[in-house]
Amino acid sequence: MSESSSIQPNLAFKRELSRLSGSQLNQCMQCGNCSAVCSLAPAERPFPRKEMVWAGWGLKDKLIGNVDIWLCHQCGDCSSYCPRDVKPADVLSAIRQKTYQHYARPRLLGKLVSNPAWLPVAIAIPVVVIIAILSLAGTFKIPEGPVDYSAFFPHGLLNGTFSSITLFFYLLASLGIGRFWKDMKRQTPPGETGMKRLPVFSVLGEILSHSNFSGCGSRKPGKAAHMLLFFGFALLITVTLYAIWATVSHHYPLPITNPFKILGNMASLMIYTGLGIMIWQRLFNRRVFGKSGYSDWLLLVSIGLLTLSGTLVQLARLGEWSVAYHLYFFHLVAVWFVIMYLPFTKLGHIFYRTTALLYARTIGRK
Amino acid sequence: MNLPTLIIGGGISGITAAVELAEAGGQVVLIEKENYLGGNVSRFNNYFPKLCPPACGLEINYQRIRSNPRISFYTGAEVKNIYGVDGDFRVKIHLKARLINNNCTSCGKCAEVCPEERPAKLGRTTGEKAAYINNGLAFPMKYCIDPDACAGEACGKCLEVCDYDAIQLDALSAEVVIQAGKVIVATGWILYDAAKIENYRYREEPDVVTNQEFERMLAACTREHKKLTRPSDGKVPARIAFIQCAGSRDMNHLPYCSAVCCSVSLKHALTLETEYPEIDSEIFYIDMRLSGRNEKLLKQAEGKERITLTKGKVGRILPPDGEKGVLLEVEDIISETKRQDAYDMVVLAMGLTPAPVAAELKVNEYGFYLPDQPSGMIPTASCKRPMDVSSSVKDATASALKAMRR
Repeated sequence: MSESSSIQPNLAFKRELSRLSGSQLNQCMQCGNCSAVCSLAPAERPFPRKEMVWAGWGLKDKLIGNVDIWLCHQCGDCSSYCPRDVKPADVLSAIRQKTYQHYARPRLLGKLVSNPAWLPVAIAIPVVVIIAILSLAGTFKIPEGPVDYSAFFPHGLLNGTFSSITLFFYLLASLGIGRFWKDMKRQTPPGETGMKRLPVFSVLGEILSHSNFSGCGSRKPGKAAHMLLFFGFALLITVTLYAIWATVSHHYPLPITNPFKILGNMASLMIYTGLGIMIWQRLFNRRVFGKSGYSDWLLLVSIGLLTLSGTLVQLARLGEWSVAYHLYFFHLVAVWFVIMYLPFTKLGHIFYRTTALLYARTIGRK
Repeated sequence: MNLPTLIIGGGISGITAAVELAEAGGQVVLIEKENYLGGNVSRFNNYFPKLCPPACGLEINYQRIRSNPRISFYTGAEVKNIYGVDGDFRVKIHLKARLINNNCTSCGKCAEVCPEERPAKLGRTTGEKAAYINNGLAFPMKYCIDPDACAGEACGKCLEVCDYDAIQLDALSAEVVIQAGKVIVATGWILYDAAKIENYRYREEPDVVTNQEFERMLAACTREHKKLTRPSDGKVPARIAFIQCAGSRDMNHLPYCSAVCCSVSLKHALTLETEYPEIDSEIFYIDMRLSGRNEKLLKQAEGKERITLTKGKVGRILPPDGEKGVLLEVEDIISETKRQDAYDMVVLAMGLTPAPVAAELKVNEYGFYLPDQPSGMIPTASCKRPMDVSSSVKDATASALKAMRR
């Protein structure tokens, strides 16, 4: 306590956090109630009280690259019991959102998906790129005859271009993740950085079992909803990878009775249910869920549209709908939005949280 | 026409206003809804700033009331309504029957034989009989019977033992209308309902008590020269935790600071330190807020071996793990560590709210009565804002002056 140091308040950052979270940061009286009620806060230097005072001073350097904000699984207990109604849960969520933007390269990608004003551009990019690919392939017209999506967008071309674009985006993101890791390391107090083996399997176990959601008091349905979405998403990725392989190795599209097809449709049902719970909670349980911002809705809506258009595309093929190709085009844009933009949207937590959990467990922080 | 001043509330503030007014020549009617004067202070163990017992202060005032012909008082008297204008109020008052008349010599035989207990509303540890006397300083010094707890003529045990013909189980309540020139409202405070803070498990854990209950437990120990024991199993506690801001400074409960609770907990800890050497205290606070002379309490407590002051609001109280006692969860902010610690007993330093009265009074955003009322009624002391005894007494004196201005 004896040595003094000067701090560099970043008021613009503070205002931004305040806007995103809807929190009156100055109202925080540093009572520590939030850290006390949190079921995930470690015993040493618990969160979120210290983050709240940093946020109040706009200490961006301490907040971006802070490992603790990722240990939070947004159960909302700190906000429901907060005596000053400063919503620590929403503040941590806002910091996470700023993290995606901070590490996004090129920066424009971060802006594109975090600012509603840029939404038209964010949509226009996939539209233009897909039209360009199709035009180059010479298939940019509604094909005659029974619905066959490969006549519109040949499978090889689709898989080739989409996979490489995705890989390219994720490569960009991995640079950000690397810097994120370094920042976390820089912020860890000396003496705690002793690097051991990466506890990959135990972290994987934590993620799969959703064990960090278990202590949640205020947002009880959160765990079930997230599990449905998580496993639904994982299943769909598996089915998609199988489908890509199927297009190369044997006949595609798969018949509706194919086990993978059935699995895919089950996965969509899981996602619908999970999304339904999440949307319901955000709309009608504001007391506990606080302010839902653009990034929250963008994620829920884009995943919803992706899944819905996927289901419709399938129905359109089976039912020979005349709008089949329009739906297909829409579906591809939605795929782009969710999958390609993933590291820069709220869905980026798949990367950032996993990285942070790995880091935290490596230094023994739990 | 010189109408009397009516004072609603016979606690320390109402009593002070009454004697000040009467000794300055005014006519006073003092009414108290309980069966005894003295209010909360009469049941305290000790009070600020000099940690005096309640007798010091109350006794002299009771003497002043008794000897002054210009004061008349009613106990068991509740305001039904107030009408009229400033200078000429009519106050309708309900007078509860005491069921024991003035023949009572306070011998206590009725209470000895009484089989019924008053519901333990506050003092979960001080079960009173249906026939009871204020277990602090009783004024008037007479027993009374709680009609809600009494089994009536069918039981009649007290009737048999009373040698003075003092018991009248069929006595009726009455209503009177008092004409008053001025009305002073000195209803004081009531404790915020601890059960509303669900994360502190007041309802579930017998060893979680409010500071008012704790005060009365200490008073009982002083009176009966016994050891302090905890409610659940009668064991002498070794560690007691005090939780500050229980309900106060909390948007979910009372958004304001209740002003006295920090001093109260320090007083309790200091009392334990000097008189109960087997008990350690730990006070969990957000900020220690003491005003004026009360700051001395903090100076006294600091450095005491058996008093620990820990910065951090207790997040929740968990059910005991096996053994009796309670677990607290708190972040010790100075050392930045989260603790989960077991205590034998927990005292909640509860917030204060204004005591209600059947009168039309303008209130501030927190429900406390505004100093200036369009009706001309004069709220005084802790029904205006939370304050300690010495501030209340000063404010009551000021109200007496206000009531004298015509």
